[in-house]
Amino acid sequence: MCKDYVYDKDIEQIAKEEQGEALKLQASTSTEVSHQQCSVPGLGEKFPTWETTKPELELLGHNPRRRRITSSFTIGLRGLINLGNTCFMNCIVQALTHTPILRDFFLSDRHRCEMPSPELCLVCEMSSLFRELYSGNPSPHVPYKLLHLVWIHARHLAGYRQQDAHEFLIAALDVLHRHCKGDDVGKAANNPNHCNCIIDQIFTGGLQSDVTCQACHGVSTTIDPCWDISLDLPGSCTSFWPMSPGRESSVNGESHIPGITTLTDCLRRFTRPEHLGSSAKIKCGSCQSYQESTKQLTMNKLPVVACFHFKRFEHSAKQRRKITTYISFPLELDMTPFMASSKESRINGQLQLPTNSGNNENKYSLFAVVNHQGTLESGHYTSFIRHHKDQWFKCDDAVITKASIKDVLDSEGYLLFYHKQVLEHESEKVKEMNTQAY
Amino acid sequence: MPGLSSGQRGGRAGGRLQRCLGLTTTPPPPCVQPCCRPLCYEQSERRLHKSLQMKMEEMSLSGLDNSKLEAIAQEIYADLVEDSCLGFCFEVHRAVKCGYFFLDDTDPDSMKDFEIVDQPGLDIFGQVFNQWKSKECVCPNCSRSIAASRFAPHLEKCLGMGRNSSRIANRRIANSNNMNKSESDQEDNDDINDNDWSYGSEKKAKKRKSDKLWYLPFQNPNSPRRSKSLKHKNGELSNSDPFKYNNSTGISYETLGPEELRSLLTTQCGVISEHTKKMCTRSLRCPQHTDEQRRTVRIYFLGPSAVLPEVESSLDNDSFDMTDSQALISRLQWDGSSDLSPSDSGSSKTSENQGWGLGTNSSESRKTKKKKSHLSLVGTASGLGSNKKKKPKPPAPPTPSIYDDIN
Repeated sequence: MCKDYVYDKDIEQIAKEEQGEALKLQASTSTEVSHQQCSVPGLGEKFPTWETTKPELELLGHNPRRRRITSSFTIGLRGLINLGNTCFMNCIVQALTHTPILRDFFLSDRHRCEMPSPELCLVCEMSSLFRELYSGNPSPHVPYKLLHLVWIHARHLAGYRQQDAHEFLIAALDVLHRHCKGDDVGKAANNPNHCNCIIDQIFTGGLQSDVTCQACHGVSTTIDPCWDISLDLPGSCTSFWPMSPGRESSVNGESHIPGITTLTDCLRRFTRPEHLGSSAKIKCGSCQSYQESTKQLTMNKLPVVACFHFKRFEHSAKQRRKITTYISFPLELDMTPFMASSKESRINGQLQLPTNSGNNENKYSLFAVVNHQGTLESGHYTSFIRHHKDQWFKCDDAVITKASIKDVLDSEGYLLFYHKQVLEHESEKVKEMNTQAY
Repeated sequence: MPGLSSGQRGGRAGGRLQRCLGLTTTPPPPCVQPCCRPLCYEQSERRLHKSLQMKMEEMSLSGLDNSKLEAIAQEIYADLVEDSCLGFCFEVHRAVKCGYFFLDDTDPDSMKDFEIVDQPGLDIFGQVFNQWKSKECVCPNCSRSIAASRFAPHLEKCLGMGRNSSRIANRRIANSNNMNKSESDQEDNDDINDNDWSYGSEKKAKKRKSDKLWYLPFQNPNSPRRSKSLKHKNGELSNSDPFKYNNSTGISYETLGPEELRSLLTTQCGVISEHTKKMCTRSLRCPQHTDEQRRTVRIYFLGPSAVLPEVESSLDNDSFDMTDSQALISRLQWDGSSDLSPSDSGSSKTSENQGWGLGTNSSESRKTKKKKSHLSLVGTASGLGSNKKKKPKPPAPPTPSIYDDIN
């Protein structure tokens, strides 16, 4: 007897399993699971720390040089060569590769390719792109394969010319979504209408449109999937927006200066009840007559990553121009007032301020901003990327430099990417368990 | 905590508390087998907590004076600290035993390589800006090595999407269809041929290196070359006519049989060029040759009764609009996929204010994705053909409708 403590793997395994079972039992028997209780890790499911197996130990023993990723490291950042007016593509790639949840998916190699020819799979190419960008290689990457694949799969974008970054984003997400067939995880895999690929899990939100008949007040509701929210800007010819922003106090901690429009203002306007004129009477389903109606858009389901698009490029009959109005946007955003569930509080047009900040479900953090400099005909895209929680970097094609938060928030803003702060898991027995995204 | 010590330990902590409070209790059952440290650790914690609770309920605290309460609190505190320390020791012990204790060590030298640099004029890797001109890549389509910054325009031409690519492709087809016996190296120098819009530029074109042509940026739709060709709209040739002013594309008539000759002569000019001794393949109204010449040729081949085919304006009325060609050439369209996806619905497709950024001539038509004028690699836009009047088709091999121009 060595009189030392020993650790036996099999016994430990048994103990772990029994513990897991016990915890699950504990969770399911409690009927009223309050929010507080849920936030305690270990209730319902225990996530053990990673422990090495024997072969892993050997492997690690052979490779003693280790690097730990700290916040002052360049690993994760890499420039992208401009292939000829492809700055719009480079910005979107930077934004996507720094989306935390997407990064986690690809870096843990979760894509299983089921395309007939894997060299044409855009998701595989994304996977290799992540590997390249997180390799620590300081010389910029040449994304020629990506360009080629996008042109093949999204023909309307093919061609050597300057293009719109937002259009590219939507097209890229569409192709990725189509190529993700092999990655359907979860219970909805067999349901053709409800794709559960990683793109849909992350980017798809539900936009609810309620049309209220003025006569009988019957409401007809439709919910459409959406990948982004396009916001009208003040001063555009096609949308009527009285230039008097900022009547109400700043909801999201935006730098509120009278006269400056904020992202919240834009969202408020986006979700306001809109009276459809007498020329647009629709047939009401409940009272069976043509009536005037009001329409309201709200968010029914919030995506994990919310992308906001400012409609800066105006193509109207009168003129084509770029609206360069500065819109102030916050680092943290609470989407609760714009949800469908908050609608009742908006009936009088008054915006209900979120009272309980304890509810973290709808809180978002900014992680990428894509900016456009120039005119409608020609210009250049650059992006700001958040890395390691509080560091921001400016990505200008092949050149990446450090930026301050002030630089980011003072920039004009064309595409804004926000990531949910707290992600929810859905396990079989327990509905809500929270983990930190950052 | 394996072995007897766990029993002792748990008992010891609990025992001290109980001694404070004047209780006796049975010692907790010892763990006989080695087991998970965390499991027992939590168990002992829970036991401690439970016994404390029980005791508190039984005793009324008002009966104790402050110093005794203080002592109790101190004891409990000491026990908890002791438990934590022991827990930590066990963690380390376990890590060493299982071999993963030293895994966290990092190598400071290699760490230094990745420090972020924050100096003006340098990027975060410490590199100077704008030194990446020499980057190259391999085109997945043609496997040539291309400079990275010129890859996009190259790929456009390589895939046949550029403004000139359809012309090049059409010419290639025309060459291979109509001139089976002619020299094949005409087709290889498409870049060169592509450039001779104007009559006399042939020599200049031949001198140019073919690679240079691939890298021409935005072709100006108002370039002088273009406008010259537009003047010849006169019912015959359009911009995309591959046979325009190039004398080297002709047909050697020796190898053609009489039937073929006859059919050729009904559709083409046919005048034999003096220097190449070949028949002109241009339209019946080709400006380079006169009707007299054409008549002569036909008489020569087909006998005195041969007549020139009708060349009035009722035939082959090329109602080819300039706007069509501009629309086609400056902006190629394909049908997008018609799956309903989030990209089709929702806020990103509101009617009026669809923001498009840059470099597009007109955005309105782009919104209508089902535009009729497709351009494929091989053929040509059906839009071109749709405007033409129908005319009796020559018994030629089936060709895309652009060949109506040549008739």
